[in-house]
Amino acid sequence: MVLKCSQLVTGALHINIVNRKVKMDLNPIKDAFDRVAKKQKLSSSKAQEVIDQIMQEIENAVERIRSEHSGAEFNYKSVLDELNRKLQETSPLSQLEGTQKELNIALSKYPKQLEKSFNPDISKAYRNIDFDTHTVNQIIASHFYRHGLFSIGDCFIHEAKELESTIAMRSMFSEMYLIIEAMKDRNLEPALKWAAANSDKLKQNGSDLQLKLHRLQFVEILQNGSRSEALAYARTNITPFASNHLGEIQKLMGCLLWAGKLDRSPYSELQSPANWNTVADELTRQFCNLLGQSFESPLSVTIAAGFQGLPPLLKFMTVMAGKKQEWHSMKQLPVPVELDKEFQFHSIFVCPVSKEQSTDENPPMLMTCGHVLCKQSINKMSKNSSKTFKCPYCPSDIDATQCRQLYF
Amino acid sequence: MEMDSLPNGNAAASIPAGTTRISPTHTTPSSKLTQLTESLKLEHQFLRVPFEHYKKTIRANHRTVEKEVSSVIAGVSDAADSDMSKDDAFQHLTSLVSRLQGLKRKLEEGSRTEHLQAQRCRARLDHLESVDAENFSEWSNTRLKRILVDYMLRMSYYDTGLKLAESSNMLDLVDIDVFQEARKVIDALQNREVAPALAWCADNKSRLKKSKSKFEFQLRLQEFIELVRAENNMRAIAYARKYLAPWGATHMKELQRVMATLAFKSHTECATYKVLFEPKQWDYLVDQFKQEFCRLYGMTLEPLLNIYLQAGLSALKTPYCYEDDCTKEDPLSQESFRKLALPLPYSKQHHSKLVCYITKELMDTENPPQVLPNGYVYSAKALEEMAKKNNGKITCPRTGFVCNYSEVVKAYIS
Repeated sequence: MVLKCSQLVTGALHINIVNRKVKMDLNPIKDAFDRVAKKQKLSSSKAQEVIDQIMQEIENAVERIRSEHSGAEFNYKSVLDELNRKLQETSPLSQLEGTQKELNIALSKYPKQLEKSFNPDISKAYRNIDFDTHTVNQIIASHFYRHGLFSIGDCFIHEAKELESTIAMRSMFSEMYLIIEAMKDRNLEPALKWAAANSDKLKQNGSDLQLKLHRLQFVEILQNGSRSEALAYARTNITPFASNHLGEIQKLMGCLLWAGKLDRSPYSELQSPANWNTVADELTRQFCNLLGQSFESPLSVTIAAGFQGLPPLLKFMTVMAGKKQEWHSMKQLPVPVELDKEFQFHSIFVCPVSKEQSTDENPPMLMTCGHVLCKQSINKMSKNSSKTFKCPYCPSDIDATQCRQLYF
Repeated sequence: MEMDSLPNGNAAASIPAGTTRISPTHTTPSSKLTQLTESLKLEHQFLRVPFEHYKKTIRANHRTVEKEVSSVIAGVSDAADSDMSKDDAFQHLTSLVSRLQGLKRKLEEGSRTEHLQAQRCRARLDHLESVDAENFSEWSNTRLKRILVDYMLRMSYYDTGLKLAESSNMLDLVDIDVFQEARKVIDALQNREVAPALAWCADNKSRLKKSKSKFEFQLRLQEFIELVRAENNMRAIAYARKYLAPWGATHMKELQRVMATLAFKSHTECATYKVLFEPKQWDYLVDQFKQEFCRLYGMTLEPLLNIYLQAGLSALKTPYCYEDDCTKEDPLSQESFRKLALPLPYSKQHHSKLVCYITKELMDTENPPQVLPNGYVYSAKALEEMAKKNNGKITCPRTGFVCNYSEVVKAYIS
């Protein structure tokens, strides 16, 4: 029994190790590279050594020639001959061969290892269609501006000669970044101004950003200024929100009692610096929304989806090696590509019987038991509504005429 | 080891329970990690390029040593064989010593470059290893920047590439100096000079030969054409004898075609030959060079950005993306992305994935889809919330249909 338990324990440990190891192990590659670097060092110091050796020999000879008495014509010749013979004998270049050979082996092994551990050709699933450079450049410029990288964006549109098309984008986002930058310096004025100017649209979107900004300002005043000042601010700016946010406002008024010692109050979370970041995020979200832009940069989203989607496509191409032609004309990917849920923007219904995606002509239908199939599958199973059939998922008898179309 | 005292059945039951309780908090789910590994495997070029660069430096340094050492040795043997005077011999040997000293200095400099390049290779390995669940979003951000720099360099937007890399402090993670080499050749080709391109071919002779590249031949053809254009026929023929003839064995057809321009001349209207004189031939050479260059360094022939954009767009593309009410968060709601995705295939799904129209959240067993009497489906979370706020009344946001929360039924999606 004791044995069994310890086996279980090691088993559990093993699972944990396996879990951790699922991430790619780069150590063999690092080792292979270290081998290359080591051999390179060896080879390079051997070269130094050989050069030093030759230099030593020649310098010796020079010294001997210099120290000879003039007139001893015959001797300097023999020095030269001796030097020549020595160099031929030691054959410095062949001394280099050994280390060089080892280095060459390491140099040719490393790329092979890379090819084995990595995907050597990620363009295998690339369709040779020309992406319109102008469109791609516009997307990139918008991405830079969207991320507040204005000087890089400017440099880019200058180099790529895309001036006109992106100017509008730049000015929209530069306003946003002015507001956000000001917020970083604890200056809410531009943010409040923008929120006030767009308060109707914000309300339509169900955002209480304006109140959140006022709340930040109120807490800021309470921490730095006087209680009466804070109260005055609340009266003019916060009371208009009373109808929908009574609880929130009561809390803020409670803060007045703790002016100057908010950190020790039940409301201490109101002064957390994190609030500034959350509100700045909310502002970014609303700002982009009103611009008709997404919160995340669409380029970031697409590339991230590409990193998830490419591996299964490459796997498929390896299997399909001979059918590249077919791949280029496919209207739909030949393999399912599962993306994380943050990339799921639309409802996709796949009929569990026919495995086909629903369409307007073949919509999803709710059966009386609560299971859902596509219309064509129901038609088939009911022989065009002429008889009842059994739900493939439960024992219910289904009458096709009782099925209802669903809208996701 | 207190488990030892537990009855067998209990121990067996308690351990797996314990591990399942612990592992989700300590390690990321293994499917996530597998996915991460799969995307790491796409980074071949990221490691390969700096290595090729390193290898190139090593080879070049070694060649210098070989060349200098053998010529010094030859110098000694020449001196031994000749009958130069004592003073000359002395001078000769001293000059050989200073030559070796020069070589040593050069070698030291070469070692420094080698060292920097080895460091770069290591920095990349470390960068790949550093990714984990906590820093993943920051890491992906850097990844996008790397891909953008790759795009800038390939498109010859060097300033932007450098600026982006510097501002993000990632010079070791991008191949700016590798592309400096390409830049010289491309700039020259754009100015209709082939010399730097030919020098590049000579530098990489053996590797170009191995990949059966005919880039050098194409450069030579272009030079020949330029001579014909200038009506320098005698020089053109001499040039062809010297530089084109060696390619005859493998590329006779092209050789013949180009030689015929001697007869047709540059103002010919014969389409076969006219095209050879067009300026776009030079653009074609630039493209050819870029391809050869990328192949030599182990890079993909297309910019990485295009490859990932294509894969991403296909994975995201559904027929619903092109509808008017497509959510703004979907990149394919944007005209520019739609345009790029147009020739690409739609994604494929094997399982239903339902996104609530109201909350935009995925509907699953924890937040199941619920059906209104009019057939419209929303997530349980959204409908519960709506019912709570409106005394149990539900209003369908898409049709205005009103019903009681009690009339809503659950749908089972498999």
